[in-house]
Amino acid sequence: MRSAAIAPGREAPPAAADGGRFRRLRSVWRALSRQRVPLVALVLLLMLGAVGALAPAILPGDPNAMTGDTLRPISAAHPFGADYLGRDVLTRIAYGIKTSFIVGLAVAAIAMSVGLACGLAAGYYGEWVEHLLMRTADALLILPGFFLALIVAFLFGGRVITVVMLLGLTGWPQIARIARAEVLSLKTAEFVESARAAGASNGRIVLKEILPNALPPVLALMSLLMSYGILSEASLSFLGVGDPNVISLGGMLSNGLQYATTAWWVPTFPGAAIFLLVLLLNIIGDGLSMALNPALTRASPGRSNR
Amino acid sequence: MTYRYVAGRLVQSLVLIGLVVSTAFALIHVAPGDPVTYLYGGQAVSGEVLAQLRHAWGLDRPLWVQYTAYMGNILRGNLGYSQINFQPVAAILGESLPNTLLLMIPSVLLAAVFGIALGIAAARRPGTGADYAIGAVSLVSYATPPFWLSVIFIVVFASRLHWFPTQGMATLGDAGGGLARVADIMWHMVLPLGVLAWWYSASFTRLTRASVLEESRKYYLLTARMKGLSEFQVFYRHALRNAMRSVVTVLGVQLGTMFAGAVMTEIVFAWPGTGRVIYTAILQHDYPVVLGFFLIVGAAVILANLAVDLAYAVIDPRIRFA
Repeated sequence: MRSAAIAPGREAPPAAADGGRFRRLRSVWRALSRQRVPLVALVLLLMLGAVGALAPAILPGDPNAMTGDTLRPISAAHPFGADYLGRDVLTRIAYGIKTSFIVGLAVAAIAMSVGLACGLAAGYYGEWVEHLLMRTADALLILPGFFLALIVAFLFGGRVITVVMLLGLTGWPQIARIARAEVLSLKTAEFVESARAAGASNGRIVLKEILPNALPPVLALMSLLMSYGILSEASLSFLGVGDPNVISLGGMLSNGLQYATTAWWVPTFPGAAIFLLVLLLNIIGDGLSMALNPALTRASPGRSNR
Repeated sequence: MTYRYVAGRLVQSLVLIGLVVSTAFALIHVAPGDPVTYLYGGQAVSGEVLAQLRHAWGLDRPLWVQYTAYMGNILRGNLGYSQINFQPVAAILGESLPNTLLLMIPSVLLAAVFGIALGIAAARRPGTGADYAIGAVSLVSYATPPFWLSVIFIVVFASRLHWFPTQGMATLGDAGGGLARVADIMWHMVLPLGVLAWWYSASFTRLTRASVLEESRKYYLLTARMKGLSEFQVFYRHALRNAMRSVVTVLGVQLGTMFAGAVMTEIVFAWPGTGRVIYTAILQHDYPVVLGFFLIVGAAVILANLAVDLAYAVIDPRIRFA
């Protein structure tokens, strides 16, 4: 089927039908922007991201400054109270959100890149490449990635970069599976055939023709990968193997546990921030999958609409 | 053909377990320092003594000799000894695992009953207010980190309302036996069990709704309706039965995550299960216990997945005759 033998002309291969490889991507965005709740969630998430990114400007206090206000309840000076060292909980949460965002985005980026590369290669080349990559993906899906991250962070120290690499490198199998399925259905599509007939190289076909069209279902998983990264990092820090040099929401919650009955705000607010991040990301993820697959809300065939 | 499938899955699972054990072995050797430095690091021990210890423990032998010895030990059920109290790791984990299961099994069952019922209710009326309400509730409970919900339960139901105890599995110093003890443990169980059931049920609801809707779009249901079967039969005997298969598969994959949730819930409630053991071991740098825990969890998750898949091969003719 590969048509490398056909003499490649100088002219570029014809673009996909009705000009736009990103047509599918755009139609998903249109479907998403019609849904109100996921859009609101997206705006709120961006606002939280801004709070994290601009933390030093919005909350100028030093997040590690110990004041005399040990375990001080909610007040004007400390809207979310102060912890057992007198540090302002709100300021620390802003810095914790920043950590969460960095981890979530990095984990999603690594998992997406590895998953896309493996899925595209497996789907396009088939044979042993597919066999090797997909069996690896199967194995990774069964192996408990979180516990692997736990043990490595425990033995090597849970610096953010270690945690991110581990979570990213164990989180890609789902992406690879979806990308592979997309490639299999796109490989024989007319616009791919025409690019091939025009003499486009394999790399060009995969990157320019197949990738843009395979992207939407993969992007729908991005927010879920972010939430996986954020929740896993929080859990690792909660278990005491997180990065000691970084303010982590999970670590704040864990350190505040013993004050749950005496100073509830110390563990409660950091946990609320994790909850909010994960919730918003899941709402966006649901909205994306709904935009991709509107049939999910449709009634079944032949069933009377009572 | 079934035998080939079963044999294939068995081999795959054994290879995976071997992979987990080898990963553990490789990690110990790549990690900075060796067991001797872990044990005596920072203590006034001469280099000569350290070398003697390394020799006594075989740490100066070729790597493959150490590897076969390690594999052999694990095959015999020897996971090493705790560096804190010198108990066998297998015994420490063996003692705490029943307490974890005491918490996990009832929560999974409770979550399955409620979650599947809600999922069916939502999938029966797609796009209605009831569907959205169930969707919203399950989304919120899905996003609630179990360790945070545990804190909230303690703050509200234990610290404020004093309905339930905050910590542990039994009242200290309460020597009452028999039924009184059972009642005491159940009373301590309510909050952690509630947290886990709440969190697990979200997965059941979401999976059930999605797979029931997926099945309802298939045309064999149209055939079933045209045969004149009642809506009840079409739904419960055909659609739901097939939908439950994908629910069970995905849950098999999520078992590791579910276990992680149980571990963290146990820590907050000071429940004397494996979570408590691993948390203390991490704090004390008791690395044989942490590694043993990793091996046990890894093997358990792989075997549970195998069990799910084999159960399927028996039930599902599509796999049996594939």
